[in-house]
Amino acid sequence: MAEKKNAVIVGGGTSKFGVRQAHLLDMIQEAMKACSDDIPALKPTDIDGLIVATTMAGRHSSALNTAPLVVHRLGLSPTAICIRLDTLCAGSNSAIIVAKGLVESGMAEAILVTGAEKVYMPQRWETNYTQLMVNDHDWDSAMGLGVPPPFFAMIAKMHMKRYGTTKEQMAAVSVTNYTYGEGHTKGHFAGRSLTIEGALEARIIADPFGLYDCCPLSDGASAVIIASEEKAKELTDRPPVYIRGTGQHASHSMSAGWPGETLAEWTHLKVAAEVAFKNARLTPKDIDVAQTHDCFTISEIIELEELGFCQKGEGGDFVASGAIDIDGEIPTNTDGGLLVYGHPFGASGARQSLEICKQLQGRAIHQVKDAAFGLAHNLSGTCSQHTVVIYGKEPVD
Amino acid sequence: MADENMAEIVGTPALDGTYISEMDMWPFECQEFNRIYPFYENLRAGKFTTTKCQKCGHIAYPPGVICPKCWSDELEWVELPQKARIVTFTETQAGAPIGFPSPIIMAWLNFGEGAPLKHLLARIVNCKEGELNEGDEVKFVVFDVPSHPIEIKKETKICDRVYYAFEPVK
Repeated sequence: MAEKKNAVIVGGGTSKFGVRQAHLLDMIQEAMKACSDDIPALKPTDIDGLIVATTMAGRHSSALNTAPLVVHRLGLSPTAICIRLDTLCAGSNSAIIVAKGLVESGMAEAILVTGAEKVYMPQRWETNYTQLMVNDHDWDSAMGLGVPPPFFAMIAKMHMKRYGTTKEQMAAVSVTNYTYGEGHTKGHFAGRSLTIEGALEARIIADPFGLYDCCPLSDGASAVIIASEEKAKELTDRPPVYIRGTGQHASHSMSAGWPGETLAEWTHLKVAAEVAFKNARLTPKDIDVAQTHDCFTISEIIELEELGFCQKGEGGDFVASGAIDIDGEIPTNTDGGLLVYGHPFGASGARQSLEICKQLQGRAIHQVKDAAFGLAHNLSGTCSQHTVVIYGKEPVD
Repeated sequence: MADENMAEIVGTPALDGTYISEMDMWPFECQEFNRIYPFYENLRAGKFTTTKCQKCGHIAYPPGVICPKCWSDELEWVELPQKARIVTFTETQAGAPIGFPSPIIMAWLNFGEGAPLKHLLARIVNCKEGELNEGDEVKFVVFDVPSHPIEIKKETKICDRVYYAFEPVK
């Protein structure tokens, strides 16, 4: 058997995220163009694998078997793998986990991971019907749970009650992420800024959430190249960014199976993180920059706790103390995250991993000084699944 | 009934009753489409039930065809408690799926020490905004929801449906 190879993230790009006047396949082409601009030496013939992460392609774009459509539009001819993958909001980071395995085993040399969603439909209210399908449809959705704010609002209320977290602390997450969003012109809310007062005075979506506690639904696409270290050296002179460890864990699909003592404890994320840190042979203290799934402000607070960046219950104080700022203990969502860059479900994971790639290569817009190790995290479904990918400037072995 | 006009419409309320299964917010409850249809039959009789494993004794929710603990297919139907307490709740102002009222009240329920179903996300009906408090007791309630047609050979059968939620104990 061939010796195990190292899998690296080479670079990538995204389309403009937002409410787009564009087809799903248009946005994937835009992301490929951005990826090509980022890795000028990359040619279509370099790519021997394709993984397309999308949830809505079938329902919203009449494109169920999406991978061959992408092959045709991008001029690819993959021979190792050519699939569509769906884990909802974790789609493209799940694809990166699969790509890592294929590259390390020698089955593929350079895999294009692209994530994309066209969320908005000709009649916007139709989107709310698709949202019923992203939960456990016959059970939680039939209770009226479509878009996720009510579920996460209850999580926030429970965290406030048990740990004393405040609306001001949640607003600090949003304001910090708006600061990071500055300069990211492709973000959904590019060019906007936010103050604590502005966040607290916004209209209520689901108590205790105001508008800025919730990420938008976005149209958009992202694309990254996962390659062997050897192939990456042919494609770029930039330092390699190794995929050191991954973890993915699900324990239930609907509310009755919730694993935590209360909604404020995400024990299933703790499990995914422990697996990823073990595989990466790192601890939370080693991580210099993180992209965590900030679908809601409370999500980022709980994730920082369960990922081990602060003590359980102290996430509110932690984010308000400046720990997630660019010069803080763990700069988090340094490209604006889901709250500002936007959230086209399948596209978000690769967008996060690309930001970690740029941070570790020293070329991020908001650069963390001497960043050597980075982490990307997604949750998906009704917080039923967690995905963690850890990167480093050095390989595991 | 939870929503006065809901059961009068056959099909998808937002489409004036035209039925499109992809936009259906309720389960396919009839025997033609699933093997846990006794759950819905029991709902009609006012019972909140699920499947219990006859081999290992595990009570699963939602009900299933095999036991998720030991994979035995020897299951029996048992009743679940119909009363619970509100742990926390939210009154959602924006984004309720079409066909559901807005604001919509959702709660996280606790069924008490030793109950086979520990907690559940549930809609609270027959309750006005501002009326609910944490710790309040709520009880199981069944109501009619829109029917749907299914084609069986050349005949069209109308499948009547029910669903459940919880309401304050007054």
